[in-house]
Amino acid sequence: MSAEEQRACRISLEDFQGPLDLLLYLIRRDELDVTTIHVAIVADQYLDYIRAASELDLDIAGEYLVMAATLARMKSRSLLPVERAAMEENEDPMESLMRHIVLYRAFKEVAQELRESESVWRDAFPVPGERERHQDLITPPDPGQTSLLDLLMAVEDMTGRNAPPPVHRIQRPLISLTQCVQALERILPPGRTVLFRETLGTSPETARIVSFFSAVLELMRRGWLDTRQKYPMGDIEMKRTERWIKNA
Amino acid sequence: MLDQLARQIEALLAAAEEPLSLDRICELTGCGTESAEQAVERIERELGSGGHGIIVARLAGGYRIVTDPELGSVVAQLFEGKRRSRLSRAALESLAVVAYRQPVTRAQIEAVRGVNSDSAVRTLLERDLIRITGREEVPGRPLLYGTTDSFLEYFGLSDLGHLPRMDEIESLLSLSAEDLDRAASEAAESGDPFDSED
Repeated sequence: MSAEEQRACRISLEDFQGPLDLLLYLIRRDELDVTTIHVAIVADQYLDYIRAASELDLDIAGEYLVMAATLARMKSRSLLPVERAAMEENEDPMESLMRHIVLYRAFKEVAQELRESESVWRDAFPVPGERERHQDLITPPDPGQTSLLDLLMAVEDMTGRNAPPPVHRIQRPLISLTQCVQALERILPPGRTVLFRETLGTSPETARIVSFFSAVLELMRRGWLDTRQKYPMGDIEMKRTERWIKNA
Repeated sequence: MLDQLARQIEALLAAAEEPLSLDRICELTGCGTESAEQAVERIERELGSGGHGIIVARLAGGYRIVTDPELGSVVAQLFEGKRRSRLSRAALESLAVVAYRQPVTRAQIEAVRGVNSDSAVRTLLERDLIRITGREEVPGRPLLYGTTDSFLEYFGLSDLGHLPRMDEIESLLSLSAEDLDRAASEAAESGDPFDSED
């Protein structure tokens, strides 16, 4: 793909409303007929586009990648010889995709018509004017609806103390799996048995428990950790295997 | 010159903050449906003859006096900075799906569009263009959405029957309803477990 095409890509991928919209654009651009189109052609066009976009380090939404995978699979299938019986039994996925595109196109066209109506009627201002303007007028509160709290808040409003208190959020950094393994390595001296609970410290956060547990599973998978649980929901006894001691 | 009944109705339409239905007009003026309808037509003719800056619009099952859209650029200056923005493409597409397929779940909207439509649906709810009409009685009981009267007003429609006619859509809807429901249920199954609608 040329530099120019790449630039075109950069401009437009953000403009598309998802993979169907992009497919529709490609089909239109190449003046392809949705009823007779071959999957290999569409798939190549689409994959080229996504590849160019990813070369540009664009953050590609998952939906685009799912569609890329689907198209790639459909293309590879279409290139294999298929028994007629099997063909007739299963609906052609390309046909179903194209029908979906036609449906999407119809809604897109309606959306365009709505856009035009929006433009016209946005310019028709109701008489009397916008309701907000009436609400600007001071309306006396309904006596039955006023509570002590309302009065207090009104006073606070006047004294300017009603500003919401600043909220500070401190996000704890997530613990990576590697960090957990390193921590476990420190906690578990070779040859000693340690309980899973003991590795967590007092009142651990859920994120920490989950991270450590994932690390334990990963170490078990690698054969670096022996674990034992005496009864369901019981604590997990952990011990480093020879393999870990050697690898450490 | 308008007769007394037409003048009354014109005054009502000018003062009302929302479209007045024919029934309501009859109730307020004490006249019959037919004479109210004819009186409205006389007002429409009078205002629509080109000599006025306002027109009678048939909106959301009623009548409302609005400024002539052709004069929008002048009137808009009054509301500089206060006007709501145009809808995004995502919102418009989602709205089109809701309008033609209501009641519809978010998963069904997403099945048509092939992309997550969470924020589009939220925008439409906030702007009162769609509303929750109930829950679909399937596992998970997802919320169902339909359009509102504000939707009709926003697009200058008197009722849903006046949506842009699309024969294509009619045939496609019956054709692919099954496909989409399947796609929607697949999407729901593989959906983000943290992304709950409630």
